[in-house]
Amino acid sequence: MTGAAANGRAAEPLLRVRDLRIVAGTASGERTIASAVDLDLVRGETLGIVGESGSGKSMTARAIVGLLPSGVRASGEIRYGGRDVLGLRGRELQRLRGAEIGLLFQDPFTMLNPLMRCGEHIVELLRGADGARLGRRERRAEAVRRLAEVGIDDPAVADAYPFQLSGGMRQRVGIAAALARDPQVLIADEPSTALDVTTQKAILARLKALQAERGMALILITHDLRVAFSMCDRVEVLYAGRVLERGAAEQLERRPRHPYTLGLLLSEPPGDRRVAQLPAIGGSVPAPDDVADRCPFAPRCEWVQAECTAGPPPLVPLGDGASSACVRVHELADEIARRRALAVAPRPEQPVAPPAAAPLVAVRALSKVFGDDGEARRVPALDGVSLHVDAGESVGLVGESGSGKTTLGRCLLGLERPSGGAIEIDGVDASDYAALSARDRGRLRRTIQMVFQDPYSTLNPARTIGATLAEPVLARDARVRDVRTAVGELLERVGLPAAYAARKPIALSGGERQRVAIARALAVEPRMIVCDEAVSALDVSVQAQILNLLEEIRRDAGIACLFITHDLAVVRQVTERVYVLCKGELVEEGPTGAVLDQPSHPYTRALVASTPRTDRAWLDAPAAVPAAEA
Amino acid sequence: MSATAVTASGRPARRARRRPSPLVLAAAVVMGLVLCCALLGEVLAPHDPDAQQLLVGLQTPSFAHPLGTDDSGRDMLSRLIVGARAAVVGPALIALGSGLVGTLVGVSAGYLGGWRDAVIMRAVDLLYALPPLLVAIVLIGVLGGGYTVAIAILMLLSAPADTRIMRGATLEQRARPYVDAARTVGVPPRRIMFRHIWPNLLPLLAANAFLTFAYSLVALSALSFLGLGADPGAPDWGRMLSDNLPLLQDNPAAVLAPGIALVLTAMAMNLLGDWAYERLADRGRAR
Repeated sequence: MTGAAANGRAAEPLLRVRDLRIVAGTASGERTIASAVDLDLVRGETLGIVGESGSGKSMTARAIVGLLPSGVRASGEIRYGGRDVLGLRGRELQRLRGAEIGLLFQDPFTMLNPLMRCGEHIVELLRGADGARLGRRERRAEAVRRLAEVGIDDPAVADAYPFQLSGGMRQRVGIAAALARDPQVLIADEPSTALDVTTQKAILARLKALQAERGMALILITHDLRVAFSMCDRVEVLYAGRVLERGAAEQLERRPRHPYTLGLLLSEPPGDRRVAQLPAIGGSVPAPDDVADRCPFAPRCEWVQAECTAGPPPLVPLGDGASSACVRVHELADEIARRRALAVAPRPEQPVAPPAAAPLVAVRALSKVFGDDGEARRVPALDGVSLHVDAGESVGLVGESGSGKTTLGRCLLGLERPSGGAIEIDGVDASDYAALSARDRGRLRRTIQMVFQDPYSTLNPARTIGATLAEPVLARDARVRDVRTAVGELLERVGLPAAYAARKPIALSGGERQRVAIARALAVEPRMIVCDEAVSALDVSVQAQILNLLEEIRRDAGIACLFITHDLAVVRQVTERVYVLCKGELVEEGPTGAVLDQPSHPYTRALVASTPRTDRAWLDAPAAVPAAEA
Repeated sequence: MSATAVTASGRPARRARRRPSPLVLAAAVVMGLVLCCALLGEVLAPHDPDAQQLLVGLQTPSFAHPLGTDDSGRDMLSRLIVGARAAVVGPALIALGSGLVGTLVGVSAGYLGGWRDAVIMRAVDLLYALPPLLVAIVLIGVLGGGYTVAIAILMLLSAPADTRIMRGATLEQRARPYVDAARTVGVPPRRIMFRHIWPNLLPLLAANAFLTFAYSLVALSALSFLGLGADPGAPDWGRMLSDNLPLLQDNPAAVLAPGIALVLTAMAMNLLGDWAYERLADRGRAR
């Protein structure tokens, strides 16, 4: 290893990756996951690896510590402290992991062994100065000390099992375990993605503080540009397994040099203002092998020219520390800068529509308790919530996990039966769907529809898209003769070719599936659609497409929308009024802009303060209220 | 430092393909033979399986009778070939019947839930608690034996296992958003159960049918062995096994051949069942 004094950028990097190529062997031959990935990491710095799903970012991290799944191989050069990691085997590799490079995974719910106490996860491999195993008492003391370091002051947590802790607490234990052997480098793979925003902020701030205390280098892998820019010194943008751009975080944010980075930045809904339309990138992320002989972004790039498809463009240094893999980088520099500046300029809030005479949906003092009357475990999900949605209006329902927002949506659709209160939809009492006459129930079904969160299970894998869409078409009007044409028109309305009717869901990308789900909701020509986190599982570039599509449909057909989401930036873009839900109770409501700009309830203030921003200040700002688990 | 390319990991790139393993191929060959015999038994058999040669009696294997004859002089090979029909038809009926009942009852119980589910599943638990072979022996003893009765009883007693499996799988599917979506569109429950959920259960159902087949083959043969299944004198592997047991010293082939045929067929069905499940589940994902 090089001397400890070598701390500057010019020094030999701690970790150096050159021309990394990752391939998976499959039945039909080899499939490329990533190629030509280079990265350098010096002591104490934070490097962000940003990419959408399928960009190869997680596999790159796994390759660095030799943890690739079986059947996946890496080639190229990975040097850590002068050693060739790809050449290491067995025990040497084990020594590298944990002791020198720590790894932190995304999912706090599966990352810890459910049968091991939290303390044991942390001290499992710790040895005393003499190399002997620590005694029982020392181990516990060490575990408690380490937990305190990650912000858990309660020593009882060391003896708790993972299932007894919340997601945020588990992620903290995960951090403590990853740092137990004082690694020089921590690789965090989407460490906060599965967490609520308030918890996410606390975890990221803690990671940042720990990194500073220990002088540790951090590789942060994320799909969230805002998180990457606020946490990292330098960022590499990965797309379809290749690095498209690299540079200092601030510079990349202000002045992107690759059309893809620009597209990503623009399609991220801004949290502090409303834009007329999100500039989405069309299409979806290609498989690396399909674009191996060209610029991988060429199929989706609006500036594509013949030279872009002539060969894979190299990553060219631009002199100021930044590099871009765009062959037209110099020609496009001005245009990209112009677009970036344009997007930064604020636009006026959309005026709130005047209230209609009678609301389309009125919910009064709704409550829902899970568990039967006699049962010991009765979980209240909603407590006296009242809200209304007028015809053609777009309303947001915001809250973190456990706030009851999804339960409310399901009650509206008759998927759950409320325990108390009343729901009135279009003049029909919809509190108990089962008690309604078939005629009224049919009328409700044609009035209100839902789009679900997960694009992968929202469509029946065994049925074709056409069969899935034909059903609601016939439910609207059983006399429709030409179902095929009706299905084709529906698909075209959501921006898909009519030929997709013959396909099964597996042949569609996530965004395309969500379009089909929207088409299904539209098929009965409803007057209102409930969108339950309809875009939160999608990549940023695709999310913008779907948001624009929903907005367009709402405008053209005058359909009211209830957006159930945790994402304040999304709410800002698409809704006129917003309700904030906290632990089953309504804490604040009002015009979206006003609520988000001047939140009055402490919980709303905490939510607004925790929403990621690209500047570093949001991480340092104290939470408005101490989050439940901070 | 010059960038030297180092290739990692000497592990071969090729993983296990989806091409069937030699074992599965062997199982397919065995089942193919058994099915051929079941379909074309009389044509393939070198002799009339029921033709007795009482004057000649028992013969050891020879060129004319590769497996010898039993003590009535009936050609063992021919009986073995023709016996394949009983070995296929009975278990196939049981597998189909119990699969059908299990699907209807299990999917309904899982989807409807509530008291219907409770009633159905307690009844299933009750049936499940009974040892099938023992019950079959007692019932056939009371009702008077016969191949058909044995099939009906085994069908009834295999259904609870299928019901449980189908119910469990239905519960899993029921929680998926596509089911919720169908409900919000107003699709009636019966259509959701059998047009939406059921196709997703097919791989499981098919694989399970193979396993039920293998189990029923052994159970039916055991009943025949005990004289409670196939009629006396009928070419049935279990019956042949028990009829020829006294000949073990004189013509071992007459006893071993039907036994080996039974074991091979049951094993082949199990292997094919596993393989079919993997294939169908993969196809479900890929289609």
